[in-house]
Amino acid sequence: MTTFIVRRLLQLPIVLLAISLLIFGMMQFLTPEQRAATFVKSEQQAQHLDQVIRQYNLDKGFFVQYGSWLKEVLHGNLGFSKQSHEPVLTTIAKRLPVSTELALYMFFPTLAFGIWMGTMAAIHRDKLIDQIVRVFAIAGWSLPTFVLAIWLLAVLYGYLHCCGIGRADDKYMVMFAQGTLKTYTGMITVDGLLNGRFDVFLSGLKHLVMPVLTYMVVASAQIMRVLRSSMLDVLNSDYVRTARAKGLPERVVNLKHARRNAIIPVVTIAGLMIAFMIEGVFFIEIIFNIPGLGQWSIPAAIQLDFPAVIGIALLTGVSVSLANLAVDILYGMIDPRISFQ
Amino acid sequence: MNPQDMKPKRDPWYRSKTFKRFRRNPLAIVGSLLLLGFVVVALLAPAITAPQLANTPSARPCLRDLGVKRSEAVEALRNPLNAVFWKAVLAPPRSCYNIPRASFSPLPKPPSKKHPMGLSGDSYDILYGLTWGTRTAFYVGFLVVGISLAIGIVIGGLSGFLGGATDNLIMRVTDVMLSFPGLVFVMIVSVIFGSGLTTVMLALALIRWAGYARFFRGDILRTKAQDFVDAARALGASPLRVFLKHVLPNAIGTLLILASMDVGAIVLTASGLSFLGLGAPVGYADWGQMISFARGYILGTAQGTPFDFWYVWIYPTLMLVLFGLAWNLLGDAVRDALDPKS
Repeated sequence: MTTFIVRRLLQLPIVLLAISLLIFGMMQFLTPEQRAATFVKSEQQAQHLDQVIRQYNLDKGFFVQYGSWLKEVLHGNLGFSKQSHEPVLTTIAKRLPVSTELALYMFFPTLAFGIWMGTMAAIHRDKLIDQIVRVFAIAGWSLPTFVLAIWLLAVLYGYLHCCGIGRADDKYMVMFAQGTLKTYTGMITVDGLLNGRFDVFLSGLKHLVMPVLTYMVVASAQIMRVLRSSMLDVLNSDYVRTARAKGLPERVVNLKHARRNAIIPVVTIAGLMIAFMIEGVFFIEIIFNIPGLGQWSIPAAIQLDFPAVIGIALLTGVSVSLANLAVDILYGMIDPRISFQ
Repeated sequence: MNPQDMKPKRDPWYRSKTFKRFRRNPLAIVGSLLLLGFVVVALLAPAITAPQLANTPSARPCLRDLGVKRSEAVEALRNPLNAVFWKAVLAPPRSCYNIPRASFSPLPKPPSKKHPMGLSGDSYDILYGLTWGTRTAFYVGFLVVGISLAIGIVIGGLSGFLGGATDNLIMRVTDVMLSFPGLVFVMIVSVIFGSGLTTVMLALALIRWAGYARFFRGDILRTKAQDFVDAARALGASPLRVFLKHVLPNAIGTLLILASMDVGAIVLTASGLSFLGLGAPVGYADWGQMISFARGYILGTAQGTPFDFWYVWIYPTLMLVLFGLAWNLLGDAVRDALDPKS
């Protein structure tokens, strides 16, 4: 097990290097002036681009350029974003906790809901509950995140006046901005609890209802489908019949014997879900007015703010590789048969 | 005896078991009918929107390019005996894809006789945007599936044929492509090449080939392991001949069918990008764009009447969801028919 984890960890730098090469390769389609923008740290420097081009060897060969770019990136200089009027890294540091909080709250309920639905559908195969779950899955599958978000926004927020848009009630946001409430992590719910203010925590949760609900409907369908079919396979296997023949209660057979083994493909899907979730977070931030990474980087892409988009691409590449690493390790822990070749 | 005659007679496709299973699935019928409706709407878009074309001044470039007078437009566009009808249906000029604006008012207007689905934000005609947008949807969907399928077949085929280190390298590349979020990739591509419908289609194709390549490679490896391939090899056929003549034709069918079901998913993604402003240029008939026109009016007016502008967002989102649903119902039924176990 330990060798498996160590070997997998050693792979990580290679993957990251490949991603950085890929992104840098795509940057070569830009002119040197445009590329220079990704090195600039302030507005003053932007006035003297030719100097920047010379300083970072932007008129030299590919690998010389790649070397000086990588050095800057590793030192935390991702350039200056004209969209947010500050260095890219500063913006990312400010907005990453917001998006991370959203993603964490979206991920676990979706996973739990998908697993629950998949189990129910498989146990009650071809019964009414199975049919309902399957129709729900097709419907959820056909609903793009942004469409469902718009519907929920109109009905829940516009018509029923429940939940909320943004991150928390305005008065709390003002208190955070003024410093009456201290910012520790940048995540509203966590900071609310750290400040000892349960009402802030609740307000944060209330504003997370619509984003989480949107994502749950859209993304749990895939988990449900995968779990249902793998559970049906397992339920037909010999050891499950043996367990039943031993006289074990149905519940124990289903949950302890069948689901434990059927869940393995779900881990794979959960890994792929991470890429899908980044997209979901971006759409949700734009529609529900949450000041995270998506709300900054998508307008940045439209305004041709290269440094911002390249910063986001790097960040995405790194987080996806880390998430895949976590999934692989989890995989090895859940299923001891899997080992690293 | 001619060796051709020794082959067992195969039933035509419409009598195969797979097709029977598909036909007996009620959801498949619903999906097919829905899709048929969309095809009809797309084809008849000029006839459906003829009154808007004739009565909105900003639709004049389209009428001019079609070579029809304003007073005769409705008559001509709805008469299949007229050459203009066929020109508009089969090869409409680019200018016809611009949604006509009834006025310069930013506020939406409710459905009326002149504009049956109302006017969206900036006075764009909703009916026009949706009917012509159906054409854009099919165009984007089929083109992206076609391009990515072509890339996927070539690369997946190479991977399955060559095997070894090449195969391993190609599969690692597809790993990266599959785990990278498409939206971020489209953002990079459109920042480099400028945003637009072409860029979005290109970017989507450059992402989606990986899935097809993987699937195709898997099918090739499965087919390669079958007895008739061994038999062909034993008869002395060269590796290339075995691959092209025996493996490829048997492995490609499932991929083609399953990939064609992805049109719906691609259109949903492309619309999302247009909604964000990364897709079609402003005013181009496209569902995602119709939804983005509605963005400021979803919550109604400031006086607290939430569904005041219901028509600006309900029609376009419904259209998009029904389109996705049609393809998914169909795709689900096809998958069930191909693999009865699932």
